[in-house]
Amino acid sequence: MLVPVGESVTLRQTVGYAVGVAEETDASAIHFVVPVAWHSAGDVEPAVRREVETLLDRVQVWAREDASGTTPAVETAIIGEEQYMFSPDDYAGVLADYADAHGVERIVVDPEYSPGGNVPLLRAMEVSLVERGYTVEEAPVETPVRRSRLTRPGGAVQFGLLFAVSFLFYQLLGGFAIVTGDTFDLFYELVTGTIAAGIVAGSLHRVTMSERPRLRRLGVQLVRLSLYVPYLLYEIVKSNILITFIILHPRLPIEPRLTRVRVAVWGGSPLTTLANSITLTPGTLTVRADGQYLYVHALFPSAREGLFAGTLERAVRFVYYGRAAAAVATPEERGDTELLQRPEEDADAGASVRSGEGSSEETRREGERSEEARTEDERSEEARTRDDRSDDDRTPPGDGGGA
Amino acid sequence: MSELELGLRTGAILVLLAGGVFFTFVSAVGVIRLPDVYARAHTASQTDTLGAGLVVGAVVLTYGFETEVIKAVLLLVFIFITNPTAAHAAARAAYVEGIEPWTEGEERR
Amino acid sequence: MLTTAFLATAAALVVLAIAVLYRAVKGPTMQDRVIAVNVLGTNTVVILALLAVALDSESFLDIALVYALLNFLMAIAISKFTVKRGDVI
Repeated sequence: MLVPVGESVTLRQTVGYAVGVAEETDASAIHFVVPVAWHSAGDVEPAVRREVETLLDRVQVWAREDASGTTPAVETAIIGEEQYMFSPDDYAGVLADYADAHGVERIVVDPEYSPGGNVPLLRAMEVSLVERGYTVEEAPVETPVRRSRLTRPGGAVQFGLLFAVSFLFYQLLGGFAIVTGDTFDLFYELVTGTIAAGIVAGSLHRVTMSERPRLRRLGVQLVRLSLYVPYLLYEIVKSNILITFIILHPRLPIEPRLTRVRVAVWGGSPLTTLANSITLTPGTLTVRADGQYLYVHALFPSAREGLFAGTLERAVRFVYYGRAAAAVATPEERGDTELLQRPEEDADAGASVRSGEGSSEETRREGERSEEARTEDERSEEARTRDDRSDDDRTPPGDGGGA
Repeated sequence: MSELELGLRTGAILVLLAGGVFFTFVSAVGVIRLPDVYARAHTASQTDTLGAGLVVGAVVLTYGFETEVIKAVLLLVFIFITNPTAAHAAARAAYVEGIEPWTEGEERR
Repeated sequence: MLTTAFLATAAALVVLAIAVLYRAVKGPTMQDRVIAVNVLGTNTVVILALLAVALDSESFLDIALVYALLNFLMAIAISKFTVKRGDVI
């Protein structure tokens, strides 16, 4: 039996239920696994890893407590470190691999377990597991209180950080009365600033930050960010001159293509930084972000090559994960790039949207739904065939399109 | 401030203003001339941002060390963050509506 | 001398903003208009900042900040609510 676990209010009950079921069905072993979203290439702090290990230790102790007499073997593992997990399918795939490796067919899921942090993935992950042929059941637990998804347990660090930022912003807008030296002004600004920042931090510190901020790490990232900004500015100016030439050229020599890149950065804010940087650098525009796939519109071939060479991606990895992570292969070498001609994922769905005007909205939705249900393998399979098809009339990615 | 310093600063401000007007001009040409939404979003987000950035940079330089400079810098940072985001939102809306990107050989839209 | 330069720049930007208005009127899609209006708004913000220096009235900078915020919100809101499925950002 396989039980994916993570921090949740009903973890204790789930462990109890799983042990009970295992004893009833004479299962030989219970595997408690933690699928982790961090990638081993990023500099995972020892503290983060320790937290996961403590969680597994705790689960093991609980399982022993609940077991009576004929104890099924309890095994724990951290999985998915070598993969970039984003979609429910990714999680299901990692769990399935583990299950196959250990001959497990039954999977018990904690209904309050949330693999993607604050992103609701659990139901979709269960569906995907059932489709792969596993028996999936949710542990019948009693949830003490239904927490709304927007808020998370807050803490002094979140409050303090948000308070500091709001207070500083208030003083910035107030024009730093401290500088002018007027005692009344200073007093006034400090008091109103404290009140305003207090209200903001008090009401929002549970909402703004998705996880406990690690101050030291945040500081290092800010330093690296200050190295990144001049580099970005240089890139912006450099390619702006190129785009100026193209726009003012009488023949307007553009060759726009929609491309899709699977980027190797993990998590919300690195992805946002990368997507925004791509948009800021002339010639490339992030049209859509779907998990780790960025749909980028490139105006001319050299912009496309720059994107596939992944210089910005590497820089963003440097900002968030440090120098070690900058060494990951470029998107082109990883084979994570492709050219898309039209916005529609599915060529057939796109065709039917064109033909049937009346039912176009419906067809497209259907196309998208089936897209979501498809597994990772099928998707890459399709990508490969599409690439083959496109070879004759289009320059394949990375094959000297800059002529 | 010495004569030379003042002259240098005035020169820098004039250069920044000229550059800003030039890039804003390019972005206006791009928005009018480019063939489809996605291509227009390019200039709206990038060339325009640089143009606005240069002009606001001139404003920052003019203020020098007065407290108003903070607001000008804030404005600069704000433009640099929001402009690409807004262009991205528009482009994404176009994508979700199913507007296909223009390719060479088609008629301009 | 500098004041004249600032005012001249502002005037040039006004002319460019009017030129961009062509795209806002012609479209053809809603997104084209959003982009055009966004460019126009950015120009307006810059003009406000220029006027703040040229006319030596700092409150224009506050207005510019608020206008920049509104401009951003406008683009996001229209992009979000003109799409039927309503899931932009």
